[in-house]
This record gives sequence, structure tokens and C-alpha cells, in this order.
Amino acid sequence: MSELAVRNRIREFRQERGDMTQADLAQTCGVTRQTIIALEAEKYSPSLELAFKLARALGRNLEEVFRYAEKK
Amino acid sequence: MSRIHRRIQVLLAVAALGAAGMFLGAEGWRGIDFGPVGATLLYAALWVFVIHLAKYAGEVFPEEWSLAERQAWVALVFVALISLHMLNLLAALPDLGAEADRLRNSATRPLWTNLGLLIVGWIVVASMLRRQAGGGVELDERDLRIAHRASRFADGSLLLLIIGLVVALVALPEYSRTWLRPMVAANVLISLLIARALVENACTVLRYRRERG
Repeated sequence: MSELAVRNRIREFRQERGDMTQADLAQTCGVTRQTIIALEAEKYSPSLELAFKLARALGRNLEEVFRYAEKK
Repeated sequence: MSRIHRRIQVLLAVAALGAAGMFLGAEGWRGIDFGPVGATLLYAALWVFVIHLAKYAGEVFPEEWSLAERQAWVALVFVALISLHMLNLLAALPDLGAEADRLRNSATRPLWTNLGLLIVGWIVVASMLRRQAGGGVELDERDLRIAHRASRFADGSLLLLIIGLVVALVALPEYSRTWLRPMVAANVLISLLIARALVENACTVLRYRRERG
């Protein structure tokens, strides 16, 4: 059975918004830009609180941004 | 790789050469004492690094490194240098006999000066890095999680080191305990704490590296 992990569509939704940079998103959510880089590369799984903050900043529901799926 | 990164690598190589020269001891290599030359090289390289950090803010470290990761790398270098000084002291103390019990003796005098220089250098570099971060978020949940894991690993390592020391002391035959004077024992305990800090910083930078893949 393949391993499951927290996958996300942060980069996709951020780029959809056009003018939102990694630095903007980081500032809105109170994290460093390097954490956004790690999240977008799916090298880091956020806490529940940060996940809610990210979804709100991207104007999406939590389930749209994050899913529990097979690892890349 | 940028020009600045290449320069930083050269500086690190020069600093490592200087440190090696410093820690060869008074007998040096083929009877030549490289101590003063090594110290000059090491501190000159550190000084040029500080100048680079002030002049080329943001170019010295890769952009994908967070402030906490940069601070961990700086801490690793300085703690490694402090560890080498402590090892040098531990190697010299047993030969001093009763003189080893004096707080200021021929082995500790150069140590205090070097430790002072290193700690001042560390404070300067750390405060420059913080200033360059420009008031943004300095530490977030990812940094704290990495710091927590590194700290737990370092605590485990310290426990093993203490157990190892206790076993070594118990196993030592009576006649070979003569070197274990109070000041030597005190310095061994301080060295264990420094070793813990070294393990913690090494573990921190490794975890950041592993997370980047």
C-alpha cells in the first residue's frame, strides 16, 4: 500500500490570485517565506491553525487547499 | 553559484586552515609553531566574513534559508571553534599538575582571550542577521518544530555522553586518575555542555537540509 501524506494546492491558488507573492502570503499568515516555499514543495505539513490561516488567506475552504492523499 | 558564495567558501576554507594551524599545538608541524599564523588567518577570515555580511546583505546565505537556519549555521561554526578551544585546553591541563587548579594558568590565559573574541564575533554576526531580516517574522512553527526536535536529540546525546563519562571514570584504574584534578573535571563537564550545543546546532542544520530535499 502506498504511503499517504498531506498534499496541498497552495501554489496553484496563490498563482490564480495573480498578485499574491510568497512573501505576501507569508506575512498574512505570520510565517516566514521559507515556510511557504517548504509548504508549496510539500516538504512540510502545517499545523491545523496554520492550515486554516492559509485557506482563509487564499479565499478557499480547508478541503479545497489540503487533502490527505498518496505521496508524490 | 554567485561570486559572493564562492568568496564565502574561500573564506571558510581559510578559516578552517587557520583553525587547523591554531590547534596543532606548540610543537606544530615538523617543529614549526603555526599557532599565531593560524589564529591570524582564522580571525582575519571571520572579520572579512562580517564585512561581507554587512556589505552584501542577503547574498551571503542562500535565499531559501530562513533566519533561524542562518542563525543555526552561524552558531554551528562558532560552537565548533569553541569546542576545538576546549579540546585544546583539556589536552593541555593534565600536564600542568597542580597549576591546573588555578583559574588563570598558562593553558587558560589564551583560551579566555580567544573565547572572548569568538563570543563577541558571534553576537555581532547574529545581530547583523537579525537586522537584515527587516522586522519580518523571525521564527515560525516550522522553525520551532525543528528546534524542538534538535533539542530533544541533543538532550539524548548529552545523556549518553554523561553515561559514557561515568563509565569511563569508574573503569579507570586508580593510578590513571591522578590527572583528574578538580579544574580538569570542571572543564570536562563544561565541554559536555558545549558538545550538547554542537550536536543541537548540527542536528538543526541537517533537519533544514533534509526538509528541502
